[in-house]
Amino acid sequence: MAPAAPKSGDAIFASVDRVNAELFTLTYGAIVRQLLTDLEEVDEVNKQLDQMGYNIGVRLVDEFLAKSNVSRCVDFRETAEVIAKVGFKMFLGVTASVTNWDTEGTTCSLIMEDNPLVDFVELPDTCQGLHYCNILSGVVRGALEMVSMKTEVTWLRDMLKGDDVFELQVKLLKQIPEEYPYKDDE
Amino acid sequence: MQFFGGSEISPSPPAPAASGNNAHMLYIFNRNGVCLLYREWNRPLKTLSSQQDHKLMFGLLFSLKSLTAKMDPTSVEKGNLGVPQLPGQGCSFHSFRTNTYKLSFMETPSGIKIILVTHPRTSDLRDSLKYIYNLYVEYVVKNPLYSPGTPIRYELFNKAVDQYVRGLG
Amino acid sequence: MGFRESHFPSGLEVHKRNSPCPTFTIHIEIALWETLSKGKQKVSLSAFAFLFSELVQYNQTQVDNIAELERRLEDAGYAVGARVLELLCHREKGNRRETRLLGILSFIHSTVWKVLFGKVADSLEKGTEHEDEYMNSEKELLVNRFISIPKDMGAFNCGAFVAGIVKGVLDNAGFPAVVTAHFVPVDGQQRPRTTILIKFVEEVLLREARLG
Repeated sequence: MAPAAPKSGDAIFASVDRVNAELFTLTYGAIVRQLLTDLEEVDEVNKQLDQMGYNIGVRLVDEFLAKSNVSRCVDFRETAEVIAKVGFKMFLGVTASVTNWDTEGTTCSLIMEDNPLVDFVELPDTCQGLHYCNILSGVVRGALEMVSMKTEVTWLRDMLKGDDVFELQVKLLKQIPEEYPYKDDE
Repeated sequence: MQFFGGSEISPSPPAPAASGNNAHMLYIFNRNGVCLLYREWNRPLKTLSSQQDHKLMFGLLFSLKSLTAKMDPTSVEKGNLGVPQLPGQGCSFHSFRTNTYKLSFMETPSGIKIILVTHPRTSDLRDSLKYIYNLYVEYVVKNPLYSPGTPIRYELFNKAVDQYVRGLG
Repeated sequence: MGFRESHFPSGLEVHKRNSPCPTFTIHIEIALWETLSKGKQKVSLSAFAFLFSELVQYNQTQVDNIAELERRLEDAGYAVGARVLELLCHREKGNRRETRLLGILSFIHSTVWKVLFGKVADSLEKGTEHEDEYMNSEKELLVNRFISIPKDMGAFNCGAFVAGIVKGVLDNAGFPAVVTAHFVPVDGQQRPRTTILIKFVEEVLLREARLG
């Protein structure tokens, strides 16, 4: 039995249940609003959004793997392409492109021109420090950690701050093999 | 079967051959060795506490994976014995059979391990394990009340798994 | 900033104490709004389910009982409802707002539901015992679709979020009401349906009576 071939992002997105992006966008807006009210400090909100994204990534990776037939994520380059082309498409309905590889092949950028999180959003002056889409960087970090890749994910460009695209830098810190979780004398 | 999870669960369940009760036990572990789910249908002999039992099963798979990879005649990247590989790296086994049972095993790149122990004459169960993985995604992972890494205690999921596994030929 | 509208979704600006509060007035033309608002754009249901999970999980850390958790979900929903009303008033109704009770109820049952959940609600009924109560029911409400409630959480209903949305729409359209979500068992079905119970405040009913 040959393993089933990985599916394309378009094919998966066409086959899954979808909802109007507005429900998603407005719900996300409500979450950010709730955090601003609860936490007050913009830095704290950034942190919490990142944490929420991480939690989502930890879960979402299994749906991604189950639906995409991707059976291995060992090579970082390959994995980054799959995230941008299949992962983004399958969940958000948009794709990202992968560029700006460094020579070691451990750092790259995901570029997004279309981002359903930010429709209708403009940052007021008091929120300039807010990384409105920080949930997304958390998702990428969480999902990669589940496939053994410890990464650092940073926003380099943000359309809400006047840039022409969203640019998310993903830096591979290390790949962590599975460890035997029990001690011998347990 | 009614799926409130909505999206199609793929692959669609492989048609069970003859209905029978061939399954003994099912385990689902996460990447940290936490047993998320243990179900048993037919296990007349028990000699260990459940904690020891889960630990032993996880240890068996862990060692076997390392050994099978080490003995792979087709690959140069074998690592050192006892030094674990990344999930999905190198070769991986999917079942073994003894004279009294068959153990089928699936591991995802995210380190979720699904183990089904059945009658030794059961056919290839890889699609079935994949199907169980999809049930896990739809019923557990997407449940807003589920905290990842904790044992699963949802009736609907257990029922769906029971129903499916009981139907396996 | 191109054609972006000048405020946050979901009433984000409510919180900003020190900044001049951006108003809810939308200065763009309707035709332009149509293209901007991308009413047809979709994301996967799972993306929403995961986001909603986080909303629930985060709020669980902020409360110590189920009632409080439901109240916070309702608050989050309220912000969504307020924005949905604005969006739809401009896009679907040419800025016209409903003034009559049945009008606003059917607006929620059909238009709002379609935009948010892709279908009209399964039923809209008037309460038989109380004149001021209406029930909008759904066999399988989107937010309850993935849920399986452990025994220790008793009657917890994620539908509180949707109740909040409905309240947000009603309040901002000038029909203040108390809105709650309930599970209602259905004969022959394993899973209960969700009923959003709308109880209007007295002045709404008096006004309606005056309008005849």
